[in-house]
Amino acid sequence: MIRLSPQMRTAIQRTTLPVLVLLSGAIVVLGKADQLVFDSLRIAVSDAVAPVLDAAAQPLNAVGAVVDHAKMAVATYRENVRLEAENQRLLQWQQTALNLAADNKQLRGLLKAVPENALSYVTARVVANSGGAFVRMILINAGTDDHVSRGQAVMTGEGLVGRLTEVGERAARVLLITDLNSRIPVTVERSHAAAVLAGDNSERPRLLYLSAGDGAKAGDRIVTSGEGGVFPPGLPVGVVASIDGAGARVEPYVELSQLGYVLVADYGLSRSLPQPLPVLARPNRRSKTDADEPNLR
Amino acid sequence: MALKVFSIPALPRVNNGAARMLPVATMLAAAVISVLPLQIPGYAALTPIFTLMAAYHWTIYRPDLLPPVALFAVGLTEDLLAGSPIGVNALLLLLTRMAVLGYRRYFVNRMFAFVWSGFALLTGVAAVGLWVTHCVLNLTLLDFRNTVIRGALTVAVFPLASFLLGRVQRAVMGAG
Repeated sequence: MIRLSPQMRTAIQRTTLPVLVLLSGAIVVLGKADQLVFDSLRIAVSDAVAPVLDAAAQPLNAVGAVVDHAKMAVATYRENVRLEAENQRLLQWQQTALNLAADNKQLRGLLKAVPENALSYVTARVVANSGGAFVRMILINAGTDDHVSRGQAVMTGEGLVGRLTEVGERAARVLLITDLNSRIPVTVERSHAAAVLAGDNSERPRLLYLSAGDGAKAGDRIVTSGEGGVFPPGLPVGVVASIDGAGARVEPYVELSQLGYVLVADYGLSRSLPQPLPVLARPNRRSKTDADEPNLR
Repeated sequence: MALKVFSIPALPRVNNGAARMLPVATMLAAAVISVLPLQIPGYAALTPIFTLMAAYHWTIYRPDLLPPVALFAVGLTEDLLAGSPIGVNALLLLLTRMAVLGYRRYFVNRMFAFVWSGFALLTGVAAVGLWVTHCVLNLTLLDFRNTVIRGALTVAVFPLASFLLGRVQRAVMGAG
């Protein structure tokens, strides 16, 4: 270690704090101006910490399970009555679905329609969420090792959760549909009106650019429209919960603050998402894939 | 090499390596705790600012063991973990140190209520500051209610955090 005179050492101690404050400020500005500068660092940190978070989140899931059990014990009788009624209804729907599936198969045969892309799902556990009022993201314990990639849809059995924005080897970050930066092309199932589902960090994202005409009514189902080619059409997103002067708000089907496990769905569409390019796109910084893939921006 | 800058009131020397790491370790733990996915409805948006509590505690009681570089590193780690705009937490923690360090002699060995009200003041300023920063970074007016509730939760949880940190501090470093 280099020996410093006491005066020198005091001077260094006095200046570290202001210097670091300025440095942090500079990082905030730089991180905002060029979002990609810190991406690899972010992914590296997520990858490194994912196992720790994974271990730390295990007991939490146990706590969640206990809470669920307690809730169930209290509400068992009512729940049972409700489930029996629901089961009746679902059995009818099952018959309908089977009939429709048979019809559909026949009709597809007649049309020689191309079958839908085979889906593959990866199940992942939520290991971290973004603590704080300003971001809506989660970290899941699946990455390129599990063959998930950027842009893929993240869902639960109930509906859409968000999409993958950063993918590391063991962990990936999901931008929830409620985040301020989330924009998803959707349609109103009843009226086929197109709109964009825009998050604003509240529990209920807004519908923007609702096309004219019938528009949306409270209780309408909202599904992805497939425009832009990132999500396939028809993924359930939520229902229109309220309509006011500013527009419609959508209640997501998924309880986003209580996510335990999620599905990462591969529809073979994520290649259509433009790969991020540095703001100053110098030819030597472009990756190889950009050359043989059309850039859709 | 004990630091002389913070010698009012004198800080007992801690030679044990593990004990010297304690403030940084608790800061990192606070950062991890704040991103744990507790499955409580609405919790994620209202998570208390745990690192602020730890930074306040250590800046008052052991500023020598939580140097600015450590605050900077923990702040950046928290930003990277949570996916929030990078640098904001680092800035918050460093400014906290800047604000608290000058007044720490008024807080050491005082009634807890006094320390707590200092923290409440700090949290109020921090919460509003964070809100303004995020509004500017996103160029939109964000909902202020979450900020208020989050600040209140942070202040409400502080006594527990302070008690735990104090206990750990005494257990690892001895009285001081």
